[in-house]
Amino acid sequence: MNAPDRYERFVVPEGVKKVTYERDTKIINAASFTIEREDHTIGNIVRMQLHRDENVLFAGYKLPHPLQYKIIVRIHTTSQSSPMQAYNQAVNDLDKELDHLKKAFEAELAKHSADY
Amino acid sequence: MEGVSYQRFPKIKIREVKDECMKFELRNTDASIANALRRVMIAEVPTMAIDLVEIEVNSSVLNDEFIAHRLGLIPLTSERAMSMRFSRDCDACDGDGQCEYCSVEFRLSAKCLGDQTLDVTSKDLYSSDHSVVPVDFPDSTGYDSPEQRGIVIVKLRRGQELRLRAIARKGIGKDHAKWSPAATVTFMYEPEIHINEDMMETLSLEEKQSLVDSSPTKVFDIDPNTQKVVVVDAEAYTYDDEVLKKAEAMGKPGIIDIRAKEDSFIFTVESTGAIKASQLLLNAIDVLKQKLDAVRLSDDTVDADDQFGELGAHMRVG
Ligand SMILES: [Zn+2]
Repeated sequence: MNAPDRYERFVVPEGVKKVTYERDTKIINAASFTIEREDHTIGNIVRMQLHRDENVLFAGYKLPHPLQYKIIVRIHTTSQSSPMQAYNQAVNDLDKELDHLKKAFEAELAKHSADY
Repeated sequence: MEGVSYQRFPKIKIREVKDECMKFELRNTDASIANALRRVMIAEVPTMAIDLVEIEVNSSVLNDEFIAHRLGLIPLTSERAMSMRFSRDCDACDGDGQCEYCSVEFRLSAKCLGDQTLDVTSKDLYSSDHSVVPVDFPDSTGYDSPEQRGIVIVKLRRGQELRLRAIARKGIGKDHAKWSPAATVTFMYEPEIHINEDMMETLSLEEKQSLVDSSPTKVFDIDPNTQKVVVVDAEAYTYDDEVLKKAEAMGKPGIIDIRAKEDSFIFTVESTGAIKASQLLLNAIDVLKQKLDAVRLSDDTVDADDQFGELGAHMRVG
């Protein structure tokens, strides 16, 4: 009767921001990004991509509670970069990686569909 | 200030591809990408499935909701699902299932008149859209096999009747498993097996045989000509460590070394038939890209921080 709609788990409610950014008040170049309605799928790829960035001193994510449909990504960088720059870079690099993967797969598929 | 790119260039090699099944190798990337693709294929690639059922007559032995549930689980061909709308954000019909952008109507009407039990199957569902129909299993064994008759929904005896109208909607596996296009999606790390030939030479044939036999799956064998231990199927290895334990017990640690390649994955994708296995991966890549796009910082978030940053800089100088 009063069960929430199932899509509550993955549809961002009206008036709620998808990504909110909060600077750390004590540490310079450290910040938290709260991403609404995302889970390990996004959290883990963003974290691992951030680890490839040499200006990132720390990058981690958590899913605070299984019934709170959000993740928190925390980033600490050197003064050469900033959490926001590192985050944007990570998302861009992942996006380009997937573009490359798609092209590579389509080329592979074209080779195979010829003989099946 | 533009940062340096840390982008990777993954390689992909298809081993086997059929409509409903595919095996491929993914290299030059890490487990996070492999796992994201797996998770998206299972839970976030959209398909069509029956979501609303209006029963007109049901005198079968199964109750209405039981039948509605069974209808929901029938896979429907969903090539079009990516370009369709979710009915919750369809403004053409307010999601009541009356429009072609977000829904497809099905009708089923069956009555048993004879003494023989009548099977009501997915083939009795009549779709209003020829591109969204219950999946058909191509039959190789002969035309009278049970698969040829579709998926059984309910069985009727003499006099029983089932008549209904059903609406199929677009959805994702995260919402309900009936929308998952994946039967199974798995990946494993590619194993790298090294045999120390010099140490292996110190073993007798019986010792070699017992080492080979210690693996629960057939990974190693003895070459009948050279009597050397060889790897016959590295991928049969299940990371069970049995051969390594055996080597240790024989007093020969290091005779065999097995490592999981951190950047190579072997995927197995099986589709329910809703979309082709190859299309499933392509759609998963697209969905993952859309998800990444959605988590980009909005301009107002960036602007708000720029002001904060300037303020902070002034404060630091002061
Ligand atoms: Zn609609």
